[in-house]
Amino acid sequence: MRALYLVLGTIFGFVLSRSGAADYNYIQGMFLFENFQLYGIIGTAVVLTAPGLWLIQRRGHTALGAPVRVELKPMTRGTVIGSLLFGVGWSIAGMCPGPILVNIGEGKIYALAALAGALTGAGVFGTLYSRLQSPLRLPPLEVTAPGKARVRSVRH
Amino acid sequence: MHLILNDLRPIHWAVAGAGISAATLCLLLVANRRLGISTGLEDLCSLVSSQPYFRRSALRSGREWRLPFLAGLILGGFLSATFSGGWTPTWSLGMFDSVIGLGPAGKLVWMFVGGLFIGFGTRLANGCTSGHGIFGLSNFELPSLVATLSFMAGGIFTTQLLYRVVFH
Repeated sequence: MRALYLVLGTIFGFVLSRSGAADYNYIQGMFLFENFQLYGIIGTAVVLTAPGLWLIQRRGHTALGAPVRVELKPMTRGTVIGSLLFGVGWSIAGMCPGPILVNIGEGKIYALAALAGALTGAGVFGTLYSRLQSPLRLPPLEVTAPGKARVRSVRH
Repeated sequence: MHLILNDLRPIHWAVAGAGISAATLCLLLVANRRLGISTGLEDLCSLVSSQPYFRRSALRSGREWRLPFLAGLILGGFLSATFSGGWTPTWSLGMFDSVIGLGPAGKLVWMFVGGLFIGFGTRLANGCTSGHGIFGLSNFELPSLVATLSFMAGGIFTTQLLYRVVFH
């Protein structure tokens, strides 16, 4: 299965690379309302994916026979605040998370700094999670203790 | 408008959208996996951090697909460059160079700051353009609609501020 994930990631990355989705000018063109390309890409992807998701979930099992269960994302106070912050970062860097990696693959040196920043930002969030949990109403963590199989719930 | 990468003409948006959709549906149909790339940032953090947040069972169970997928994104970019005139390391950044015009050191700082917002923001929001914008919207999830409208608003505000006000 790992080979499949690698191949799907490669196709995904190749498409992002060649379509403008990983291109600084196209991202700014989208946010300046001067270029339709990115709106067309996201719009087409959603219009085609929506019926596909509906069919796969109605069918209820994967091509290999395993049950299909889509984990839904929670709505928290972080949904709006976090997304606004992400939008600011998307504009500054001209990349969202996937294209950071695609740009590294293309040889754009500065994308390495964007990745370092993104990992630092995610690391800071993880470190501050217990303090943000109550003011932002974030869900409790289901944590696997190191070396143990049992799952415990950590509340603060 | 041509791409920064080897001055290529981009593929048509409908073709790109169809390709993204095909990969997304394939992930769910074959492997019961929900597309989401920014969670991969946590997978990378979890390799070095022992914070409880990075030891969540929900995170651990997805690492086996996300890490190869992330490696594929890098490989996809590399192959795209290689098959289109060659892979060359570059600092070229399109309109940033002509309008904002920072050199290599400035670009590294600029990109690191952008990355901080991306990393912190996507984790707080529980998703990015892929998990919220493509999968969540396609699955008619309200939090994803809220997230997508919010990150588009954040991006539009910042780019308009940078290119129409500050560096005008």
